[in-house]
Amino acid sequence: MELENKEVGLIDILDVVLDKGVAIKGDLILSIAGIDLVYLDLRVLISSVETLIESNKETAEKLSSKQFDYEKEELDRVIHQS
Amino acid sequence: MEKLIYLYGIIPAGGIDAAPLPSLKGLDEKSQIYRLPFENVEAIVCELDPVEYSEEELEKKTNDVNWLHQKAFHHHETLMKLYERYPIIPMKFCTIYSGLESLKNTINTHQKRMLQLLDNIADKEEWILKLYCERDKIKEIVACNNETIESKKEKIAAMSPGRQYLEKRRLDQLIDQETEKETHVFSETIHEKLAALSVDHEVKRNWNKDVTGRQEEMCWNSVYMVDKSEITNFKSSIKELQDKWAESGWYFEVTGPWPSYHFARIS
Repeated sequence: MELENKEVGLIDILDVVLDKGVAIKGDLILSIAGIDLVYLDLRVLISSVETLIESNKETAEKLSSKQFDYEKEELDRVIHQS
Repeated sequence: MEKLIYLYGIIPAGGIDAAPLPSLKGLDEKSQIYRLPFENVEAIVCELDPVEYSEEELEKKTNDVNWLHQKAFHHHETLMKLYERYPIIPMKFCTIYSGLESLKNTINTHQKRMLQLLDNIADKEEWILKLYCERDKIKEIVACNNETIESKKEKIAAMSPGRQYLEKRRLDQLIDQETEKETHVFSETIHEKLAALSVDHEVKRNWNKDVTGRQEEMCWNSVYMVDKSEITNFKSSIKELQDKWAESGWYFEVTGPWPSYHFARIS
């Protein structure tokens, strides 16, 4: 494993330079809210991707729960027969 | 209109005497980075145009991923160059003051705390660990080695075929839960080992796959402040852990040393 000279990506950098906003409050013209905006954008991007995945998942779940009911009926039949 | 002042970091007074400030371009790639001496500390800054970098303009700029990419790197790379030469309290990205007066006021108010921080971070290094796992591999191992799951499997084997199908589905859910638990317990154990070698540590939030762009899942993200005398030990411990656990689907991504972004916070 290479510990030194590891290439750091944008995420590594943003993870350290943005996380928790700015250090000194007060007379900054760019407030913590301003920094949060940068962060927010990333979050908006992430959440939109997540929403997309979620909606796909929901469709998948609906299908599988129907499938599940069918199996349950099958099962009831097996139990009643025995 | 007075120029804005972009603050990169704070170094101890007299630091420049030991190593001259390298010639570096500012955030706008035009201005030059220079030092502002105070009583006990020095600020490393550059000037920015108040119109081009007004709050409103900055908000627009930060919406541009390319700009953000380039400038976040600029901020960090500048700090790395400074960090190579001086003990430094690094500022977060876009720490901008409306003018010299407001910067002076802030520094005068916090000077004592800054000196204390510089003292705290002396002879220490900041390292970040991101732990990734191949969930399927972990799941496989959990499915084979977990006692609760084993006993369930035995019970299921004795059931009627219809019942077996249902119970197997439930078992899959259980395996997922146990995998989640295992992942967390494993990461925590690793963290505790490394925390024991550090003077300070902090657990950060995990990034999901959309952000990391990796196949493996990030299951731990933490930062350690390590005494310079312990660095070799710290690194070899991680190497050992990596060698031991790579086959089971665990990947250790370690980066450092970083300027002390996490352990030199002013407020």
